[in-house]
Amino acid sequence: MTSIRRQLLVWLLAGLLLAIGTAAVGTYLRAREEANALFDYQLKEMAASLTDAPFAGVPPPSSAKGAASDTLVVQIWDRNGVQLFMSQPRRVLPQHAQLGFTTINADNGEWRVFSTLADGQVVQVAQPMSARRELAASLALHTIVPLLAVLPFLALLIWYTIARGLSPLDRVAADVARRSPDLLEPLAETGLPREVQPLVHALNGLLERLGQTLAAQRSFIADAAHELRTPLTAVHLQAQLAERADNDGERSAALAELKGGLDRATRLSEQLLALAREDPDVADRAFAHVDLAAIARAVVANAAPLAVEHNIDLGIEAAAPAIMRGDADALATLVSNLVDNALRYTPRGGRVDVKVTPDHAGTRLEVADSGPGIAPADRERVFDRFYRGTAAHADGAARGSGLGLAIVKRIVERHHGRIALASGIGGGGLNVIVSFAVPIP
Amino acid sequence: MRILLAEDDPMIGASVRQGLTQDGFTVDWVRDGRAAELALGERVHDALLLDLGLPRKAGLEVLAAMRRGGDTRPVLVITARDAVGDRIAGLDTGADDYLVKPFDLDELAARLRALLRRGAGRAQPVVTLGDIELDPAARAVRRGGEPVSLSAREFALLEALLARPGAILSRTQLEDKLYGWSDAVESNAVEVHIHALRRKLGASLIRNVRGVGWMAAKPDPRAT
Repeated sequence: MTSIRRQLLVWLLAGLLLAIGTAAVGTYLRAREEANALFDYQLKEMAASLTDAPFAGVPPPSSAKGAASDTLVVQIWDRNGVQLFMSQPRRVLPQHAQLGFTTINADNGEWRVFSTLADGQVVQVAQPMSARRELAASLALHTIVPLLAVLPFLALLIWYTIARGLSPLDRVAADVARRSPDLLEPLAETGLPREVQPLVHALNGLLERLGQTLAAQRSFIADAAHELRTPLTAVHLQAQLAERADNDGERSAALAELKGGLDRATRLSEQLLALAREDPDVADRAFAHVDLAAIARAVVANAAPLAVEHNIDLGIEAAAPAIMRGDADALATLVSNLVDNALRYTPRGGRVDVKVTPDHAGTRLEVADSGPGIAPADRERVFDRFYRGTAAHADGAARGSGLGLAIVKRIVERHHGRIALASGIGGGGLNVIVSFAVPIP
Repeated sequence: MRILLAEDDPMIGASVRQGLTQDGFTVDWVRDGRAAELALGERVHDALLLDLGLPRKAGLEVLAAMRRGGDTRPVLVITARDAVGDRIAGLDTGADDYLVKPFDLDELAARLRALLRRGAGRAQPVVTLGDIELDPAARAVRRGGEPVSLSAREFALLEALLARPGAILSRTQLEDKLYGWSDAVESNAVEVHIHALRRKLGASLIRNVRGVGWMAAKPDPRAT
């Protein structure tokens, strides 16, 4: 696992070390340059002092000044090349004829030599280069040692500061940890650093959407449980009546009622399942090119026996294929729910027309009936779950689950279509118009 | 006892009516709140069995209007809503008892009997007058400890008369107790049933007040 703290610490320390290193190198180079100028001047001065005074034996070593005095080598030759003086016999410098400053490579390292000619004598003053380097290095070292000394404290400071800077994250983490499906309050967004706020803001958005979804599901489950109670109560009572029956006739009548109650409970649970399946949060199943006209014809054919039973004239007008992108099963459920509703609310001898019209604007499905219709004021509410129109109570047997139109609406939404209610056949009744946008080629 | 059932669900309504009829109640069934109010206005029912989820006028509104109008008849609420708040709202509006769906027919009948008993000011489940005992739950009548066999209508008539001994009930009132809206009332039926009751339980139990009606009185042990 990567740690922001460790990464920051490593990189900051690396940067600091690089800076200290650069400072050391810079100091060293500059110090060496200065040492060169200084020591060269020293050599020259020394040579001059040796030549000013007539040679009188061993020059006092103390005359050489500076830190490098003990490393100075002085040699004096006469014009015949006879060595007259040598300050340090063990350090033999090559005899050098070149006057002025030279840098030579001897067996024992690099030397800086100043030679001058005076009174027929060659005076050579030499000093090893290492002395200058040592001086420069020591200067550089003096510069970086204090920096290196405070480095551990700096590391601690960085460690602490990062921890402080990241502490809002810990707080947010603790805050998030306290959240549960029952407690989806937004996290506090105040007092947060600018870097953390977008994260918390995004989290709050997620919490809110999650809360809405959960609330919708809870209310759906509560509604569903509540609605299931009614058919279950009926089944319970019907079973009790069957139990009480004294003779076969009563018993078989009671059992037929019971079967009707079970059918109703089954149908409601199927509708609930269909509604849950059309949940917009469920990942879209693959849409395909489907022919709505063919789907509608199949649904109408299926519903024909029921229409005959209720003496309702059911027909479809869908000559041309109506190709659209959609979920064939869901669209069949949609048409079937609309046709079922129309058949349920249309009195005997009435009429139900299904129409599918493809055109350049898209596909249009209409299911019109000659039933009692829905008052314009109630037309919005019919799409609510478990809403039942008052007309449904005129004929007890026609009662539905109250879910049909809610399912239809979900399916239409999932297909990005629109649904509208208008007056049906002959100005009365209901016409449900569903329109889907132009199919994507 | 005649019950008004206000229930919009056809299956539940049919089953409750059938079950309660088997238990000896006379049941009239309405399917929405307005119809319930109209039926209550007739003042022929002894109790109201009220579903809260009624169309046209919600059950609680019917109940509130009924209590505002000074109607003190027992009301048993049946509903699918079982949250405590809903129950409190129902009881505070004036319901006498509360049953949550799904419920049991036997329990419903028992609670109705209890409500009717309380409504009549009695705490004992068995009604006694002299040596006559009437047990509404068991639908049994005893005279001096001996079981007496009665028809359903005879039982209902006796129950109505014993509910308030000494109070005079007219023929119409008695007919209202015996027959629901869907029943055809036979002429002279009340006289026929009273005659049968006198024969089985002693002539002095039910007195006729000419031109007014009938009342139950403590039977004279000397008369038979």
